[in-house]
Formats: sequence, structure tokens, C-alpha cells
Amino acid sequence: MLQGTLNRLVNAAILLVAVLVLNFTLIHIAPGDPVEAIVGEMGGATPEMIAQMRAQYGLDQPFIVQIGTYLGNVLTGDLGMSTYYSRPVTGLIAERIGATLLLVVTALLVALILGTVLGVFSARKRRSVLSHLVTVIALAGFSAPVFWVGIMLILLLSVSIPLLPISGMTSSSADLTGIAHVLDVLHHLVLPALTLATIYLAFYSRLSRASMLEVLGSDYIRTARAKGLPQRMVIYKHALRNAILPVVTFAGLQFGQLISGAVLVETVFAWPGLGTLAFESILRRDTPTLLGILFFSSMMVVVMNLLTDVVYRLVDPRIQAR
Amino acid sequence: MFAKPAIPFNRIVSAAFAATMATSALADGGTLTGYTSGYRTLNPAVQSGAATGAPGSQIFAGLVLVGKDYEIQPYLADSWTVADDALSVTFNLVDGATFHDGEPITSEDVKFSLEAVKANHPFGKAMFGKITEIDTPDPDTVVVHFSEPVPGFLYSLQPLLMPIIPEHIYGDGQELKTHPRNMENVVGSGPFRVVENNPAERLVLEKNPDFFIEGKPKLDRMVYPLVKDPLTRMLMLEKGDVDYAAFAGIRPTDWPRLERADGVEVTTDGYDAIGYVHYLELNLREKPFSDLAVRKALAHAIDTDFLAKVIFGGKTAAGTGPLHTGNPFYTADVEIYEPDLDLAAKMLDEAGYPVGADGKRFSFVLDVPSWAPQAHVPMAEYIQAQLAKIDIAVELRRAPDFGTWVKRIAAWDYDATMNGSFNYPDPIIGVHRHFDCDNIQNVIWSNTQGYCNPEMDKLLDAAAIETDPAKRMELYAQIQKLETEDLALIYMPQDFSVTVYRDDVKGLPDTPFGALAPFLDVTVGE
Repeated sequence: MLQGTLNRLVNAAILLVAVLVLNFTLIHIAPGDPVEAIVGEMGGATPEMIAQMRAQYGLDQPFIVQIGTYLGNVLTGDLGMSTYYSRPVTGLIAERIGATLLLVVTALLVALILGTVLGVFSARKRRSVLSHLVTVIALAGFSAPVFWVGIMLILLLSVSIPLLPISGMTSSSADLTGIAHVLDVLHHLVLPALTLATIYLAFYSRLSRASMLEVLGSDYIRTARAKGLPQRMVIYKHALRNAILPVVTFAGLQFGQLISGAVLVETVFAWPGLGTLAFESILRRDTPTLLGILFFSSMMVVVMNLLTDVVYRLVDPRIQAR
Repeated sequence: MFAKPAIPFNRIVSAAFAATMATSALADGGTLTGYTSGYRTLNPAVQSGAATGAPGSQIFAGLVLVGKDYEIQPYLADSWTVADDALSVTFNLVDGATFHDGEPITSEDVKFSLEAVKANHPFGKAMFGKITEIDTPDPDTVVVHFSEPVPGFLYSLQPLLMPIIPEHIYGDGQELKTHPRNMENVVGSGPFRVVENNPAERLVLEKNPDFFIEGKPKLDRMVYPLVKDPLTRMLMLEKGDVDYAAFAGIRPTDWPRLERADGVEVTTDGYDAIGYVHYLELNLREKPFSDLAVRKALAHAIDTDFLAKVIFGGKTAAGTGPLHTGNPFYTADVEIYEPDLDLAAKMLDEAGYPVGADGKRFSFVLDVPSWAPQAHVPMAEYIQAQLAKIDIAVELRRAPDFGTWVKRIAAWDYDATMNGSFNYPDPIIGVHRHFDCDNIQNVIWSNTQGYCNPEMDKLLDAAAIETDPAKRMELYAQIQKLETEDLALIYMPQDFSVTVYRDDVKGLPDTPFGALAPFLDVTVGE
């Protein structure tokens, strides 16, 4: 057990370094560098100014020196300075991670719970009208582009029926504190979380439905029914516990990739999270920030995979025994 | 406030409301909500453009303001005298002006700011390159000396291009372009001070109670939430969540939609001094575009009036040359190329580009930048369709992002590109850079197309130091004429720059700098 975990950790560390090297190289190959992007935004510059800025960011060094310096810094916990904001990357990530976590965790939880319930429901009565309805909604949610869903929800819930704010995380007109601030954030959270949840919901309802159908056909369910256990007991105690494993796997995977999932939703709703920062960093050629976020998200994937293992063991005791 | 698009009845009702409100006196105060697309610095001394300039002109004061009809007005300098030989200017500063941290604004700060802009602003050299010495005989007096006359000097001294920044903050020896105080704890000199600067969410400015002009500004607060998605912006404008949006970046087809919305006004006023022009840039180093006859044929093939009238719904003027129609030196007396496809085809035949066996004369790649897509994409598509009619194959290459496009153009590694730039009121800043032989550089928005005509250089050099306004006007007329004869760049319709605002926003600056001028008299609400 311990040996296995240790192996995994060593593998993860090697993987992270490989990801760093690969990312750095890829970004280096891409056309354009931070100075060109900044000069473009400045509205031009003199050649002397450009040379001076290149030197300041170490871009005048050979590639091997640049990547060496970067790896060395990362190993000491320094992700460098953002070329765009002239601020440490770790600080930028720390500022934004909260917003992304709030959005993604909310959306994921809503989708997970609602999706599982809908999936189980439609697996139990798979010929019913409601079951077909769930399938249709799931398919629609699955295939509609997320930004389109976002805009449609804005049109419906903040333009036609003005219930919810269009964009941002807090109201800009007032300085709210305490409970009022929390309520204000929740008010802003509804639309983006709903949008993101629509997409996730499709996954989970389909996944839990399929997995539930499979489990319901197995022998031990028949045994449970033959014993005369009530239907609810059979479904939720015997069947669901087994059927939920793929859902947990998927949730773990998706949580690891939370940044990529949130980019579009964050952009549409001007949500101040990591997804927007990553997207902007690409456009601005803000290499240190982009590398920092990529490094951070690969760490998330590794950590989430380890955590998923733990959850497996909680849900299914047989795994621990092995 | 009505959220739905207005129906005629709504409009009548709101008109009635407006009438009753107008009778109550306008009180000071209010909060103005706009939006921002993000900025890397709030210090206009190290960056040009509207993203930094719009808030920057509120946070920092300049020596002068540019009023209606380009008249220079006192601001931080209450008076000035230009020497008879035009080789020095003496400024007298207003009494009692302070920075937002309470430190007095002195002649040393003015000197520091001039030198900072000269060294760090992209136009620093163009604007202040001829400054030889800056004297500060006393805290209220600044004397600027030049090696040669700089006729456009005063135009460059308003806050957008020459903000007065505190020496006691920025004079600590750190690199100014990446100085931490450009974003954190910003200490300005203007009518508004920064109370919240969170680049991920919003910028909040608040009235500076110690501003050196009594009773100004009138607004209490200005809030700029960060909104990047164009559709979200459009919905916010329509819904009335935004009071004021300069450089709104809307498509001309959005105009009628916004006008239908209740209480929303749209205007193209306030962009003359910025002078945003678009053009087709051809790489003049290689055939076929090194051939003047080919460029002239292209100019005959592209009907810019049609573009302006049909594609841009008549909301913008067709550009005739390097100067914006709102520029004080603009002239319409230039070489005009009447749209004529037959003539264009004939000219190409004569120039040695007949239709080949493959049915084409030649083909080229037209780069389309990632910025201002609402202007560049329709223009590029029109050019492609139009040139196909005279058997020129144009392949459009849309840049995935800004960096990619800048890299190509700055490396001169392109056939042709859609492009655009700002004039700024004095052509030395925004116009000379595109035509000066000495400015053929691997830098974006320099003379990247590689145009060099000694006669043009002579005219540019003469105009740069001519102090007699009439003579200078004449020189720029010749420059515009020569440019259109040489077709160093082929001018397209000018930018469709618009401001969208709510009808209860009053007192917007009625000057050529409009959106980028300080909001001293603006009020919101009744």
C-alpha cells in the first residue's frame, strides 16, 4: 500500500517536470514573445526600448539558459513575474483560484447530485416519458456550446426577466460587507454556475443512467429482490453504491481539469477566475503566468487522481482489501 | 428603468419622465459606470492607447487641456509664454496643487514627468526628442528648451500623452515601464483618485476632494467593471447596466438596435484628436506591390465610399489620406482614385501583369489582425471579393492572436495586411512614423511597409519645425497629396469609433479628445 503510494508520488513528480519542459518548449516555439505583445499594446516603441525590455525579461538569453533558469526557479517555489502585470505569478494565481473553485465546485455539486438522481430515475423507469425527457435534455446540454447556453440564460434570466446580474462576481456600485457581500456573490454565482452545471449535468445523468442499467441487471440485485427487500433499499443501498463508481471517477477527472472547463463560462460572465487569466495570458504572451497556471493545473490533476483513489475506497470497501 | 427593448409607448412615457426631471435642478454627484477590457498599467507615461488612457486621463492631470477647435486651455499650468525664437516655453504652475497623497506638485515633478515620458512612452522621442534642457528656477516655474522649434509641443501636454506623475514615488530608480506603483497604490495628480484597482474585476475611481480646480469634478465615483465578451457588453448596454462606454467596439449594425433601447444614446463625437484611421498596408519591398502602377490599380479597384456607405452604414467617412478628417491639418485636396474596375484591369495589363494561363494575374496573402475585427474582417472580405473581379487571387489569413500578427508585420514577413493607427492631434506623433525613411524598422506601427521618398522626408522635416500655422498647413497639404500619389498606404474608411451612453449622463467633454479627456463637468442622474 505505502510502496504503491510512494511510487505514485515519484511518478507524479517526474510527470510534472516533463510537463514543465514540454510547456516551456511549446510556448517558446509559438510565434511572438511577451515584448512584442506588450509593444503592440503600448502602441509601438523604439528599438532601444524593445532591446531593453527583452533584456529585462531574460529573453535575450539562449533557450537552454532560459529553460534552466525557469526550472531552477520553479523547484525553489518561484513561478516568476508576470510580464503583463509585473507581479509575482503565485500571487496572481492565489487571487484568482478562489473564484474558480467557488464556480466549479458549485456547478459540479449541482450537476453531480441532480445528474445522479435524474440518471437513477430514468434507469428505473426507462420507458417513461420523463425518462425520455431526461435523455433529450441531457443530449441538448451535451451538444450546445457553453457560451451559447450562457448568452441564452442571460437573455432569459437577466434581460427578459431581470432577476439576475449579467456579469461579474460582485456588484460594482456598492461596498458590501459581511452577509450582504456573501448574498451578493451568491446572486452573481447563479447564472455562471447554472451554465456550467448544464454541461456537466448531461455527462452525469447519462453516465449514472448507463451504469445503473448495467448494475440493475446483475445477479445480486435479483437476489436482493428475491429476499423481499423493499425497492428503495435495492436501488439506493445495493445498486447505486456500485453504479456510482464511474461517476466518481469522472467527477475526479473533471475536477482536475476545472480550469479548462471554466474558461468559456468565466469569459462570458466576466468571472474573475483562473480560466480567464489563462486565456488572457495566451493572448498577451504572458509566458510566466501561463506556465504557472499550467503547472498549477497539472498539479491539480495529480492531486485529484490521488484523492479519487481515496474516495473509491470509501465507496467500495472491496478496493481497499485488494 | 425598462429592461426590455423599448416599444413606442415606452418611449413616450420615458420622454414624459425626462421632461419632468429636466425641471428639477441638476445636483452634483452620482456614480458613472462604464467598463474596461483590461489594462496592464494605469500610468499613461509608459503606454499609449485607450485602455490605459481612459482611466489615466482621470487619475493624472496634464499641463494643459485641448478644448473645442483645438484651442489650448490652462490646466496644471495657468499660463505659459513661448519665446520669440520658439526655442523655449516657460510655464507657470497653478498654486496649491497636490498629488493624491498630499505632496505638492512642483516644477521638479513636471521636469521628471517630461523626462519620464520622453524615455518611456512609445511616442516619447517623437514628441519630446528635441528637448535639450528643462530649467526649474522655482517650484512654480518650468522652462523647456529645444534644439529646434516643436510647433505641436502644447498639443502633447494634455494628460493623455503627458501625465504629471510624482517624482517622490517613481523617482526611486526602479524601471518605470514595470514599476509596481503603476498598478498598486497609484498616486495621481488628476480629478479622480484610485480607490480600488483589481484587474480581475474592476477599477473604482473616486472624486479627488483636494483637486486644484474648485468645484470640480462633479461626479462622486467612476466604476469600470472588467467585461471582455462583446455580446455580454452589448446586452449590458442595452439593459442600461452601463452608463457610459467609449470605444464601445460595436458593429455598425448594432447601432439601430442600441438606439431602440430605452434611454440609450450613441455618438461618434469625441474622436477627432485620436484620429483612428484604417488602411491597407502593402509590403513595398517586393513585386508586385513595389510597382506603383499596381498600387494605383488596386486603389481604383477598391471603392472606399461603398465600404463606408454600405458596410459601415454611412456612419463613418471614407479616408482620403494619412490624416483623419477631424485633424486640424486635414485636406481633401489629394489624388483621388475613382472606382473603376475596367481601368484597374487595363493598368495591370500595361504594368506587365496580364491574366495568366491559370486565369489569375497574381495572388497574395492578406493578413487580418485579431484586433478591431468589426472593422478589419468586412474590409478584408470586400477587398478579396473586389480583387477577384480583376483576376487577383487574395487569400485571407486571420491572425489567431495579437502576438502572431505583430510578429509577422514587425518582421516584414507579409504580403499585405489590414492595419490602422491613431493620428493624435499633431501629425508628428501618429503620421510621420509611417512615412519617414529613418523609421523603416522591425517595430509595429513604424514604417513597416518600407516606404522611402527623399522628397517626402524633406517635407516631413520641414513640417516638423515650421512654426507659422499657415505654412505648416500648406506643408501638410503637400504631404497628404504626395502620399496619395505614392500610395505608401491605401486608406480605407475611418474607424467607426462610438460612445454609447445613457441619456441621464450630462456634461461629457465636448472636445476633440472627448472620451480621453478628464471628466470635469460630467454628472449622472437627476
